[in-house]
Amino acid sequence: MANYQQLSLNHLSFTYQHDRNPVLDDLTVSVPLNRIIGIIGNHHAGKTTLCRVLAGIVPQIISGKLTGDCQIGDQSPVRDWPAYNQQTGFVLQDPHSQLSGLADTVADEIAFDLLNHGVKETDIQQRVTTVAAQLQLTAQLQQSPDSLSGGQLQRLAIATAIVTHPNVLILDDPTSEMDPQGRRDFFNWLKTVTHTTIVIVSNEIDELCETADELWILEKGHLVSHGTPLQVMNHLNPEWQVTTPMVYQLARLMNWPLAIKPTLFPVTLNQLRRCVNVNHSNQ
Amino acid sequence: MKAKNINNQDSRFSTWKIHLTVATTTLIPAAVGINYIAKALAEGLKLPLWLGSLGTFLASMLAGPTAGAISGFINNVIYGLTLSPVSTVYAITSIGIGIAVGILFHRGWFQNAKRVFVSAIIIALVSTIISTPLNVIFWGGQTGVAWGDAIFATMIGNHINIWLASFTDEFVLDLLDKFAVAYLAFLIYRQLPQRMINYFKDNQ
Amino acid sequence: MDIRNHSLQKTVRLHWYNVIDPVTKLLLALFLTLLSFQLTDLYFEVGLVLISLTLLLLSRLSVATLHAVSFSLFLIATMILIQGLFNSHNTHPLVTILSITLYQEGVLYALNMGTRILIIIFSIGFFMNTTTISENATYLESVGMPYNQVYLLMSVCYILPQIQQNLNKIQFAEKARGINLQRTLIQKLQSLLPIMIPLIIKTFDQSINRSITLQLRGFNSPERTIATPMYHYFKPKFNHYFLVFMIMILIGVKLWQIISNFL
Repeated sequence: MANYQQLSLNHLSFTYQHDRNPVLDDLTVSVPLNRIIGIIGNHHAGKTTLCRVLAGIVPQIISGKLTGDCQIGDQSPVRDWPAYNQQTGFVLQDPHSQLSGLADTVADEIAFDLLNHGVKETDIQQRVTTVAAQLQLTAQLQQSPDSLSGGQLQRLAIATAIVTHPNVLILDDPTSEMDPQGRRDFFNWLKTVTHTTIVIVSNEIDELCETADELWILEKGHLVSHGTPLQVMNHLNPEWQVTTPMVYQLARLMNWPLAIKPTLFPVTLNQLRRCVNVNHSNQ
Repeated sequence: MKAKNINNQDSRFSTWKIHLTVATTTLIPAAVGINYIAKALAEGLKLPLWLGSLGTFLASMLAGPTAGAISGFINNVIYGLTLSPVSTVYAITSIGIGIAVGILFHRGWFQNAKRVFVSAIIIALVSTIISTPLNVIFWGGQTGVAWGDAIFATMIGNHINIWLASFTDEFVLDLLDKFAVAYLAFLIYRQLPQRMINYFKDNQ
Repeated sequence: MDIRNHSLQKTVRLHWYNVIDPVTKLLLALFLTLLSFQLTDLYFEVGLVLISLTLLLLSRLSVATLHAVSFSLFLIATMILIQGLFNSHNTHPLVTILSITLYQEGVLYALNMGTRILIIIFSIGFFMNTTTISENATYLESVGMPYNQVYLLMSVCYILPQIQQNLNKIQFAEKARGINLQRTLIQKLQSLLPIMIPLIIKTFDQSINRSITLQLRGFNSPERTIATPMYHYFKPKFNHYFLVFMIMILIGVKLWQIISNFL
């Protein structure tokens, strides 16, 4: 029986029409809904394609051969696409492509989805204001989207995705053009989002370990590891060439393992603080 | 996937039976952009060509004659409105070019260099046949390209019929231009990634 | 606080031309153009040029219009030269400079055509300079044009300035590769390819991504709220019917003239 309270992939494989080799190969995993799932992996690992499957872009818009199953809550992006699409927010890798291309102002750009779905003007005003405040775009609301910096543009892309109040939010490398402060703000904001299943592809391993409930490592289309950031980072295979968070590297170097499980090294600042405290009090 | 068709709220527009998919809707502005770039490059290099239909060619090849025709049409209308009002009327020529390329491509006349040669001649003919009356109506038969107009002036000076002179003026220029564009389009199309070709084919 | 620009009309001062809807302006341009083709008397033509020029001057003049005018003035000059020298109806000499004779008939013919071109430029310039892309988009949508067609038209308007910016980069690349130094036409064309191909692939990739985005963002959704026009226009329906009626008459007269020529 399918469990309607989780995101589950069941022997999921996908091959693009123009390609012979599968980009995703036999992925099986499940996570409870409303968690933050971080996806990491090297170039051509299949991260973007996995995002596309979760958003229903493949095989709906880009064709190819999909086998196995993908289920998010009680819906499948493959079978229930139009309905599923309405409840899903997606942020593309390239923020320029995210824009409607027709909006004169940032406010109009954010309102685009709401207009398309026939939301009332008063609601639109209110939702746009709220979302802009969340993503620190209030000062830019009357500016043209073309005048924004790369980081602001990425925040705008995120704003357009969350203004519809999606149940599922898929973010494909949403911070690549942000400055360090903007990145920190973004991840801090991400932690405050509730009642939403978030899938995020990112290279920011430090922030990802701080924020994500679950990490998946993709390697040449295979899901080679999944679990909490703590578990995943402590059981890496050097062949995957995955970078580890600074905290973890430091803890390894100083030999500060977790107090509860001495075989594991911390991956978040909080975990580190605790084991440093323990190590200090031991001396 | 076919786009969820146009909502017929108003009878005035439901007669526009053009079913645009979303992919075609975003391909056309790109094609217009390519037309514009190619034209600017040709001007920058002082080539005796326009090259301004390269995008229209590619749109026809990727998404069929309708997409090409619409690209050509909109290209001239917008270009005309913003930069050179009289070129608006040549929108009709661009429609002809778009349709011709689409059909020739579909029939396999862009498969190899030899066939492209034939295609280029046919497209140049289509373009000239539509453009000549426009040249006569708006410019007294001239094309606005100096050396083409020199031919025109010589012929008129020798009391040759204005239509024939104008046709020659236009055809000489068109032949050269369409050869260049057809071969550029042919070479570029072969370099496009298969996923791109599939995408526009699937979403026609 | 009204954050979306529906409030624009309250803050920006209204001009007289804002109360005329975009379609009326376009139909007016079409009407003036057809009328100029119907007229053969140069004085009437000049009158029409002055009318359309007044329309333009009462609104505002843009650089684009000036460019268009200067470009066509040059062409009109060559037209006067060619027609004045070689027009087949030439009989009465007008002026003779250095033993080259310009004839009345040809010059008149060229002037007639030149005025028509100016009328087109001025009346379209009036439309372009007094409307904005978003005003046109909202108006077309409000009168019932399907949103995907509005989108198509308007996105082309938005893409051109963006491409203009990219062009500088490309021209720089041209210089860097020394294409201009290449001798033959074929060599020049061949050296264009390495610049064009990546650019074209990038452009098409962006349009693929945009088409994906639009579908994800509910473009083409039947629930879409139809835009309301940005201004209150003066009798748009009446203007449209009136101008369409006049245009039909002009076309009818022209057709009748052509048919009666054959009879």
